[in-house]
Amino acid sequence: MNWPMVAFVVLGGITVYSGWRVATAPLVTHAALFLAVTFAGVGGLFFLLQADFLAAVQLLLYAGAVMTVVIFAIMLSEMKDIEEPRPRGWLGALRSPSLGALPFIGAVLLFAVMLVVYLRGAPALPVTPLPAPTNSTVFIAGALFKIYALPFEVASVLLLAAMIGAIILTRVEGGRRR
Amino acid sequence: MIAVQGVPLVDFLLLGALLFCVGLFAALRRSNAIMILMGIEVMLNAVNINLVAFSRYLPRGGDRGQAFAVFVLAVAAAEAAVGLAMVIIVSRRRGTIEIEEISDMRG
Repeated sequence: MNWPMVAFVVLGGITVYSGWRVATAPLVTHAALFLAVTFAGVGGLFFLLQADFLAAVQLLLYAGAVMTVVIFAIMLSEMKDIEEPRPRGWLGALRSPSLGALPFIGAVLLFAVMLVVYLRGAPALPVTPLPAPTNSTVFIAGALFKIYALPFEVASVLLLAAMIGAIILTRVEGGRRR
Repeated sequence: MIAVQGVPLVDFLLLGALLFCVGLFAALRRSNAIMILMGIEVMLNAVNINLVAFSRYLPRGGDRGQAFAVFVLAVAAAEAAVGLAMVIIVSRRRGTIEIEEISDMRG
């Protein structure tokens, strides 16, 4: 029995199904919970790929921090109705789930293109992975602090700018609630 | 010890492609700004699957694929923070986050 393949199919199935539910769940809160399952599934795939550090970061950052921010945004944005609204206009009708299938056709076409490209190139791709690094944190740090030291610093500046921007954008002026 | 022996690289690439298209479908289908951001997060995760798979299978990938995945994570976190802050301020000013109703740019 090919246990890694079984684990891959189970994890991939959970991930893709919950991703599908993110697109189709009628309530925003349900979509957010399925998004958390998608993040956890991707973290499991990282574990399967023996990228331990990234799997831990995925669970902490995505399933923890980003999900918290998303749920706070859902609670703080004053949505009158969290159900999907009725489509309006011809564009709304074309992309609404009940009438139009334009997003679905677009996504399926893109997947078909990628499927053809990957299956044509499949014989040239390796089947077995490289031997796993003994310590994936040391493994990544070697790249981050040697070759990619400058992009690493730029990413930290980006995160600082994003933090300040988010604070300034959502600040309530004069301590008065608008 | 779990290992990934027996799963060829192309399977991970196909899974990444499928998840990316599902995220694209979510981002295109929804008319709610928070839902669109959630679709974009799913697409970024699909890209990370590809990067990590390349780093584990290709001899010249090495540590670089995982380093790039770390950068994608950082940019995704920044994008989520700023994007959702914008969603909150739009909902405060307009009372809605349906993108069909936020079509004029001047506040």
